Amino acid sequence: MTTWLIVIGGLWLAMLAVFSLRSYRQTETAHDYIFAGSSVGTVIGLMTFAATLFSTFTLMGMPDFFRVNGVGAWIFLAISDAAMFFLVLGFGFHLRRKARERGYRGVAGLMSDLYGTRWAGYVYFAGVFLFLVPYVAIQVRGIAIFLTAIFPNALPAWGWSTAIVTVMLIYSEIGGLRAIIYSDTLQGTILLVVIWIIGVSAIHHFGGVGEMFQEVRAVDPKLLSTPGPQGLLTFQFLVASFFAIVMIPVTQPQVTTRLVIMKNKQKLHRMAVSLGIFTALILLPIIAIGMYGAVYYGQVPAREFLSQVLLFEQTDAVGAIVVIGLIAAAVSTSDSQIFALGTELRSLLSGKEKRVMFTTRVAVLCFGLAALIFSIITTDQLVLLARVSFAGTSILGPLVIAGIFAKRVPGMELIAATGAGLLIFLASLLHLIPDMVGPFRLDLLLLIVLGVFALVDSLYRTRVAGEAVLGEEEAV
Amino acid sequence: MKGNKALYWKLCIAGVVLLSVITFTPLVMPAGVSHPMLFGMPRTLWSSILIYFGFVVLTWIGTRVYPGSDEEGGEEA
Repeated sequence: MTTWLIVIGGLWLAMLAVFSLRSYRQTETAHDYIFAGSSVGTVIGLMTFAATLFSTFTLMGMPDFFRVNGVGAWIFLAISDAAMFFLVLGFGFHLRRKARERGYRGVAGLMSDLYGTRWAGYVYFAGVFLFLVPYVAIQVRGIAIFLTAIFPNALPAWGWSTAIVTVMLIYSEIGGLRAIIYSDTLQGTILLVVIWIIGVSAIHHFGGVGEMFQEVRAVDPKLLSTPGPQGLLTFQFLVASFFAIVMIPVTQPQVTTRLVIMKNKQKLHRMAVSLGIFTALILLPIIAIGMYGAVYYGQVPAREFLSQVLLFEQTDAVGAIVVIGLIAAAVSTSDSQIFALGTELRSLLSGKEKRVMFTTRVAVLCFGLAALIFSIITTDQLVLLARVSFAGTSILGPLVIAGIFAKRVPGMELIAATGAGLLIFLASLLHLIPDMVGPFRLDLLLLIVLGVFALVDSLYRTRVAGEAVLGEEEAV
Repeated sequence: MKGNKALYWKLCIAGVVLLSVITFTPLVMPAGVSHPMLFGMPRTLWSSILIYFGFVVLTWIGTRVYPGSDEEGGEEA
C-alpha cells in the first residue's frame, strides 16, 4: 500500500500546490483573497459547502455513531441536515440582501453594523472562537489517531497533527478562500467515491439490505430502534441536536460565508437542493458501514473498528484513497474554519487594508496553532465533541436571526443575554454547573429561552417604533 | 402570481414544520420498536429516510415558489 499512498498522496499534494498558485495569481484584492470574488456557481458551491459540512466527523465519526447507537443516528444527522438545507433558502436570501445593503466583511462585522454596536460582533466572535477551535481540533485529532493506528512507528499523534496543520496553513495563507474552495471540491469527490466503495462492499458482504439488518438484530435488536443500545438517542437529545445542526449556516461563519459568496439567488437555491441529494448519497452508505461494524466489530474500540473497516479490509489502492481522503477531509474542513475565524476577526478591525490583511494572516496562523494544541490534549469522542461545538455555536442563532430578519433589531439586552448564554453553556461543559435543569437539557433550554427572548424583544421594539411613528404623524 | 408564490412558500414552511414534528413522534421513533420492516429496513430508518426525501422535495418546491428576488431586493418571506 505504501506505493499507492506515495502516488495518491503525491497527486493530492501536487493538486493543492496547483490550486494555491492558481488562486494566488487570480487574487488581486483583499476581497478576492477573503471571498473568492463572490461569484461561486452551483456545482462548486455544492462541493465547497458539502466539504465544509462533511468532515472527519462524517467519514469517521458517523460510521462509529451508527455502530454504537444504531439506526436513530440517521435522525441525528440526516434529518437535521435536510431541514438545514431548507433553511438555506430563506436565511440565505435575507442574509445576502443584508450583505448587499450593508457591505459584507464577515458575520461579526455585519452583526456590529445591524445592532449598531461593536459588542454584537465581539459576542459573536467570542462564541465562534470558543466553539470552532475545538471543532477544528476534532478534525485534526481524528485523522491523527487514525494515522497513528495505521503507521504506529512513523510519527506520534502530535507529529501527524502538526504536519496536517502545517499543510493547511501554508496553502490557505497563499491561496485564500479560492484555494480552499478548489480543495473542498477535490475532497468532496474523494469522499463520495470512498464512501460508496466501502458501503457497497459492506452490503455485498451481507448479501442485501434485509440480510444486513437481520444480522444486526441477531447481535443487538436495540440497534434497530431509538434510543439505541446506550440509550443516548432520546427525544431530547435528538431535538436539541436538530436545532444545533439546523443552526449551522446561521452560526458557523465558514458556512454562512459560503451562502454570501454564491453568484446569485438561483445558484444558491440550486445548491440547497443539490445538497439534499448529495447528503443522501454520502449518508446512506455510511449506514451500511456502521451496521457492518456493529456485526463484526461491536466490542472493539472505535479506532480499531475504523482502521479495520476503512483500511485493512480494503484493497491497497482503496486503502490509500481512504487515507488521503481522510486527510483531505480533515484539512478542507479545518482550513475553512480557521480561515473563517480570520475573516471574522478582520471584519471587526478597522484601519489601512494592508495592515488589516497582515493582522488577519497572523491571526489565521494563531488560530491554527490554538487548534493544534487543543487537538493534542482533546479526547477521541469525535461525534459528541462535534455536537458540543454545534450546540455552542447554536446559542448565537437567535442573535444572528434577529439581526437578519427583524424589522426592528433588538439592542444590548439580546447581546448581553447571548453572552450570558455562552458563559452558562461553557460552565456546564466545565462541570461547574449541571447540564440538566430539572428534566430538561441545558443546551436545549438555553436555545429556547434565547429564541423566545429574541422574538418577544423584536416584536416589542417593532411595536414601540410603530407607535412612535404614529405619534409623530398625529403631532404633525 | 406573486401572491400565490407567497402562499405556496408558506405552505412549504408549514410542510417542513410538520415533517420535523412528525420525525420526533412515536410514529417515526417508537422506543424499542423496529416493526413494521420495509425493504428489510427497520421502521425508524425507512420512515425517517422517507421524511428526509420529503424535506428534499419541499426544498425543491421552495426554490420554485420562493417569493423574494435578488434583483428587486426581494419581499418579506
